[in-house]
Amino acid sequence: MTQELTLSIVGSGGDGAVAAGDILSMACAREGLNVIKTEAYGPQIRGGESSATVRISTAPIYSQADALDALVVFNWADYARFRNELTPAPDAVVFYEEKDPPPAGLNARFFPIAFANAARDAGAPNGKNVLALGVLSAAFGLPQDALRAALRARFGKKTAAVVEGNIKAFDRGIEIGNEVAGSVKKFAYEKKAPKLVMSGNEASAVAAIDAGCRFFAGYPITPSSEILHFLSEWLPKIGGTCLQTEDELAALGAVVGASFSGVKSMTATSGPGLSLMAEMLGLSSMAEVPSVIVNVQRGGPSTGIPTKSEQSDLMHALFASHGDTPRAVIACSDVEDTYHATVDAFNIAEEFQMPVIVLSEQSIAQRRETISGDNLVHDVIDRQLANPEELKEFRRYRVTENGVSPMSVPGMAGGEYQTNGLEHDEQGRPNSMFVTHETMNAKRYRKLDALASKYRLFHRFGPETADLGIICWGSTAGVVREAVERLNQGDLRVAAFAPRMIMPLPVADLEKFIASCGELLVIELSYSKQFYQYLRTQVDLPKKTRVYARSGGKALGVSEIIEQCVAEVLA
Amino acid sequence: MSSCEFKFTPNEYKSDLKPVWCPGCGDFGVLNALYKALADLKCNPQDTVVVSGIGCSSRLPGYVETYGFNSLHGRALPIATGAKLASPNLNVIAVGGDGDGIAIGGNHFMHAARRNVDIAYIMMDNEIYGLTKGQAGPTTPTGDKTKSTMYGNPDAAIDPCALAISFGATWVARAFSGDIKGTVDLMKRAIQHRGFAFLNIISPCVTWRGDDLFKELRGKVKSLPHDHDPGSRRQAQNFTYEEEIVTTGVLYAVQHPTLLDEMGTIKAKASTSSATRSDILKVFAPRF
Repeated sequence: MTQELTLSIVGSGGDGAVAAGDILSMACAREGLNVIKTEAYGPQIRGGESSATVRISTAPIYSQADALDALVVFNWADYARFRNELTPAPDAVVFYEEKDPPPAGLNARFFPIAFANAARDAGAPNGKNVLALGVLSAAFGLPQDALRAALRARFGKKTAAVVEGNIKAFDRGIEIGNEVAGSVKKFAYEKKAPKLVMSGNEASAVAAIDAGCRFFAGYPITPSSEILHFLSEWLPKIGGTCLQTEDELAALGAVVGASFSGVKSMTATSGPGLSLMAEMLGLSSMAEVPSVIVNVQRGGPSTGIPTKSEQSDLMHALFASHGDTPRAVIACSDVEDTYHATVDAFNIAEEFQMPVIVLSEQSIAQRRETISGDNLVHDVIDRQLANPEELKEFRRYRVTENGVSPMSVPGMAGGEYQTNGLEHDEQGRPNSMFVTHETMNAKRYRKLDALASKYRLFHRFGPETADLGIICWGSTAGVVREAVERLNQGDLRVAAFAPRMIMPLPVADLEKFIASCGELLVIELSYSKQFYQYLRTQVDLPKKTRVYARSGGKALGVSEIIEQCVAEVLA
Repeated sequence: MSSCEFKFTPNEYKSDLKPVWCPGCGDFGVLNALYKALADLKCNPQDTVVVSGIGCSSRLPGYVETYGFNSLHGRALPIATGAKLASPNLNVIAVGGDGDGIAIGGNHFMHAARRNVDIAYIMMDNEIYGLTKGQAGPTTPTGDKTKSTMYGNPDAAIDPCALAISFGATWVARAFSGDIKGTVDLMKRAIQHRGFAFLNIISPCVTWRGDDLFKELRGKVKSLPHDHDPGSRRQAQNFTYEEEIVTTGVLYAVQHPTLLDEMGTIKAKASTSSATRSDILKVFAPRF
């Protein structure tokens, strides 16, 4: 029987809510449990309110939880900021600092605890977060040995007094927690092989290294900067180069230059940065220089909501840049999927000589998730350079059946060519004739056809045929997957289709899915229904297709989707 | 072409593409000087990359039989930076006009210079937007009537050398395209300089700035005084924003670690040899 538990800790900067979330996640990962951890912050650079939410399960999980089983509140004023996002379930247990009584209107079981005083008395004046971990572990039966080990690892570099103070605070928390343990449902599990804990941004960075990326250029932007941070540390260790540029135009420019020189290259950004990269994206497409762009979506438009998730960069990713500009777009639905999407992006960029956008989302990029290291394996395709035969009377943009032309890189004698953002002939010489333009457009677009038949990437959940079919993409797929699993336990047969390849879309597979379903529901986090609008240009959707689209800024919930599905069927 | 039969003559660097430039354009002088400079320095065509932005002068890479990249308006320097960092043995030369490099690409000019990326950046300064047919550019003198400044240019003109010196370029020179010999010499020194070398070549536009300009400039061009100290940033700036004279020569030349040197230092600090894939995955593992 699946065991599940979702805990949230809320406090001010310095209360250690986020640190407690990290320690708990790592301890659960060591026990082989499945964890998804999310954090939320106020807008302050330092201090301010913060929260960590950890969902723990014995079965694989693909989304954040809708409601909390347990909540630790050090300060209700801080909680007020998150109350729309952190909702306790009706039978939830709430532990709060006894000096600060809870507001009216919350439906849960309340337990006052003198967090600050008890931690101080135990010898850890800053240890109320650790004390809270003790309380939670005793109340719910969470792994106490692993937590102690995680605490020692976390505070290992501090003085022995600090470490022991924290262990004492943890043990004091256990004593307090034991008093409520009888009235709380225990979390029972079997220990399994340890897992890794990784964020989507980190998965992109690791995937880039695995794919052979040895050049990264980027400009800091929330919520993608962790990719820059990770590669700034690790690329030089393996002989690669990481460059922080003056802006996003230069970031993708440097990537195009490095790739032109023969090195697999990547940049990472978020919506506003992708706007600036639009012209360089067009150049990468026109000059047929491979490039990989990870775009972590945040709330838009303009500066929007930098710290929150949305799926509203879709149309921009698909069509950014003027002219007819072939590119590939791959979505990621969770952290592990982000790894595979990023390696795929490099493979496609190199094989088809075009820009590839990995469309991530803040909700995946910045959440931490347990994954098995064994799953982080993916075939890598390296750059295919022109052979000696092709270098004789070399034509860099030779018109071929699948559109892919032989490529040379500087250093190769006989491969010299001048590339261009201008329309050009097979040699790369500027050419403004209609015939050349038409021929070259067709050549560049044929690569998308070849790509579409090779990369039919999608997720499909649920039975072969269904009463209701859901079409979604990106992070929404994880939530929908869980909703589908739950719905199929009842009478309703629900299936879901989530393309991983968004451009080019696996149209035949999508059509097959549509034919296998009675009713259709499109779900997305974009106010203007960008995904639905795009689908309409790609497949014939039944007239009665319903759309559930809303703004981002709040995670999509499994129960929210179930509600929509039931409404769809009753309608 | 294969390098064994290559004789390193200027002609061999000529592509079969005919320049689109107007007869009498200053850029012809720059192009011929570049052929000669590449030949004199025995630059292998396969190891040379000429990167440009957009504009009359940015058409240049197509006329040179090396690797070339005619990119986007203002973006030659980021592309050149990426090309050099990814393949340090390449000889990377960025070229373009004053509008390309100072107006739309001004931000990149500043940062490529301060990074001291080891490339030669050749600006063909014609005081006008030529390709779009005659609008004022960042080096157009104040008050000049152009197609976009019908009542006179309201903006102050910039001296590109003054910018380069203050941005941290480690080699800054000015040439006149009417003086091929002098231009060849400065180009060779720019290519040979270790670090970011900026060469501003006064390259008159006969179509939009008038036929007399060459004659007029010949009267104004002067060499640097013999006692000029190119190691002094202050002295170098004395030869910027000049009135009625155009001083040619190496205004400023110093040696600082290049961006590639710094990247080498970073790699050494990061202890290159020790990292393996399992080291990377350990970052994410519960190690207790």
